[in-house]
Amino acid sequence: MNQRIQQAYDKRPKDWVYNLITAVIVVGLLIWSGSAVETSGSTQDGGQIALNVLSGIFHPDLSFLFDFSTKGVPYLMLETVCIAFLGTIVGAIISIPLAFISASNLTPLPIAFAGRLIIMAARTIPAFVYGLMFIRVTGPGAFAGLLTMGVCSIGMISKMYIEAIEDLDTRVIESLDAAGCNTWQKIRYGILPQLMPNFASTAIYRFDINLRDATILGMVGAGGFGAPLIFAMNSYRWNEAGALLAGLIVLILIIEFISTRIRVKLTRG
Amino acid sequence: MNLTFYDKIFKPKEYVLPNGKKAYKKASRAPIYVILVLAMCALSVKITGFDMEVLVSRIGQFFVILGEMFPPNTDYMPKIWEPLFDTIKMSLLGSVVGALLSVPFAMLASTNVCPSKIVVSVMRVMFSLIRTLPTIVIALVATLVFGLGTLAGTVAIAVFSFGYIGKLTYEEIETVDMGAFEAMQAMGATRSEAFISAIIPQVLPFYLSNCLFNFEGNVRYAAVLGYVGAGGIGLILNEKISWREYPSVGMILLALFVTVFIIESVSRMLRKKLV
Amino acid sequence: MIKFENVGKVYPNGFEGLKDINLEIDQGEFVAIIGLSGAGKSTLIRTINRMHDVTSGKLTVDGVDVMSLSGKTLRRFRRKIGMIFQSFNLITRTTVIKNVLTAFVPDMPWYRSVFGIYTKEEKIKALECLDKVGILDKAFVRADQLSGGQQQRVALARTLAQNPQIILADEPVAALDPVTANQVMGDFKRINEDMNITILINIHHIDLALKYAKRVIGIREGKIVFDGPAQGTQWDEVLDNIYVGEASREGNIQEEG
Repeated sequence: MNQRIQQAYDKRPKDWVYNLITAVIVVGLLIWSGSAVETSGSTQDGGQIALNVLSGIFHPDLSFLFDFSTKGVPYLMLETVCIAFLGTIVGAIISIPLAFISASNLTPLPIAFAGRLIIMAARTIPAFVYGLMFIRVTGPGAFAGLLTMGVCSIGMISKMYIEAIEDLDTRVIESLDAAGCNTWQKIRYGILPQLMPNFASTAIYRFDINLRDATILGMVGAGGFGAPLIFAMNSYRWNEAGALLAGLIVLILIIEFISTRIRVKLTRG
Repeated sequence: MNLTFYDKIFKPKEYVLPNGKKAYKKASRAPIYVILVLAMCALSVKITGFDMEVLVSRIGQFFVILGEMFPPNTDYMPKIWEPLFDTIKMSLLGSVVGALLSVPFAMLASTNVCPSKIVVSVMRVMFSLIRTLPTIVIALVATLVFGLGTLAGTVAIAVFSFGYIGKLTYEEIETVDMGAFEAMQAMGATRSEAFISAIIPQVLPFYLSNCLFNFEGNVRYAAVLGYVGAGGIGLILNEKISWREYPSVGMILLALFVTVFIIESVSRMLRKKLV
Repeated sequence: MIKFENVGKVYPNGFEGLKDINLEIDQGEFVAIIGLSGAGKSTLIRTINRMHDVTSGKLTVDGVDVMSLSGKTLRRFRRKIGMIFQSFNLITRTTVIKNVLTAFVPDMPWYRSVFGIYTKEEKIKALECLDKVGILDKAFVRADQLSGGQQQRVALARTLAQNPQIILADEPVAALDPVTANQVMGDFKRINEDMNITILINIHHIDLALKYAKRVIGIREGKIVFDGPAQGTQWDEVLDNIYVGEASREGNIQEEG
């Protein structure tokens, strides 16, 4: 065999040690996490319940589904959309100043770091904790729900706003500077046109997520379809739960379709 | 010039240049969007009962509760460890199981791997239906089927991860460069051999990075699941809030914050190495 | 020997890619195929290892009717035909040697291909192939860190690793700068002469074709309009025929007259 080839072969990176360590860590973590799988044992036959759930979803309670009074599915969906919508707007508005003070290209590092810490802390608190806290403020109902949606949205929205601000194309501002614009004009013509589509797109995306997360609000009594859903499920009225879930699935698919189209339009101009 | 229905009502503005040439500026759509958003806001305010006065006069209550959480009750910490680890364990196991199960289905949902258009559309509809189901509902059903406890939470997280990772993976597979796949076929490899040798190395780093990101988010999600009895830290959190033991709530939230911070930092470091 | 007998190819949309091709290529020839884009160069080359099907006539390689192959027999047949692409078609995210090693995958048991386990022999052979194209020192570098010319050499090494009797190259130098293109063409020539491998190459740089190939085939609108040695041909007229076509050449003559 050729000497040079033998040399090249001997110089091959020995990555099996690295691979072995990774594999051991991953397998170890999995075994460790497997130890947590425990259950109190179901009171009824689990399989039977699963079948009931499925049959309920495929045989939704039609009179409930098409009940246009304030107790029917359509109104609950409308209320949920309204909570998510206003909640997103509240969250988006609060996020703007937070994002600007946390953007590392605009503010000094310690302030930016503090801003990020606040955002992260706000993100850690689970939605139902906020819900229960806001109920103390406004009493149970949709009002508490929309405030909860608002603060829950802050984490993600401001994180994405920060990215948008940090990606700002500063050459435009330079050229406006050269054209003799003042600070206000630079913001109006240099920064806003760059940020607006991005901010709007983020808010719409978050609206999508909020709609999905709105279930949890109802469970703590903060409005929307969550409360009727959990009541129906806890009392095994699967046809009613099926009607609510059917309404939710249709609603989410419609909103997702619309929001994707708007966001594509926003990014392509 | 292309005139839509809107342009026929609101005529494009005509500019005549000194040399006689004409330029048209279509009427801006912005007013419609502004009106739509404002109308939606008004409707939402009415339906949700949003009331600025109440908010201003009573928002102090929120900060009173927040204030009561400080200083956190450090004596409570020993009782937090177990549910906290339960939360991490169920999000880890659920994320891994869901992500692994999603791979074959994601392959069937990619037009460049699966030749049958029917199978591709069925798989995609399945993925988007699963993603519409709120995690909390899945957890609730899981507690009814499997009983209260972390198993239910693990199942809920696995189902959520299945939908999320599955969608990202089939999108990744679709955008992959098929050149190497073609080269493998020209060398006499079967479709599956070509997939393993040419597609997987390209997709794997993104797949693993998505899995880590999904796991990060799931730790936070898992904290919510305890509310419906699916185990973990949410369980004691709900308990302490209803008993109004706010210093203990503060301790739980602080522990959760530190945990999420550590996991996110490690995961971000790993993801940077991957891609 | 590759033998086309009255071969035709009609695409599903009705476009005639190849018309009545008759051609014989012996073992060890170096053939350049020239012609306009869309003239059928790619189609011609890709029918030989049946990446494209022919629709009429008979195409045999070493006496085997290509259209009679399917599944396993087709894959085994493709093992002895290497293919080089314009865009290199490497797995860019992995190392050079792993790209070359993929040449052994079709002959490996499934569990080794799943986990990417290669024997020492295979690794040595891959390194030898890299040495033949002069990039042994890049063996453990990631493929996307190499220049275009180096990447095409990796592709060449990958093809050599499968021990082919024939190499089909579809516009191998179109994405390369002139200097690198000359080097890669030199590699092809060396491989052709040293290892007696038949080489068919699609190319639209006529000067490169004439410089390196021994035989040139001109294609226009799916038909062979020229077939002859690279040396000793009156090229002006032939190229006119290949690239301009009868009608406009008559026009030129009239203008000159």
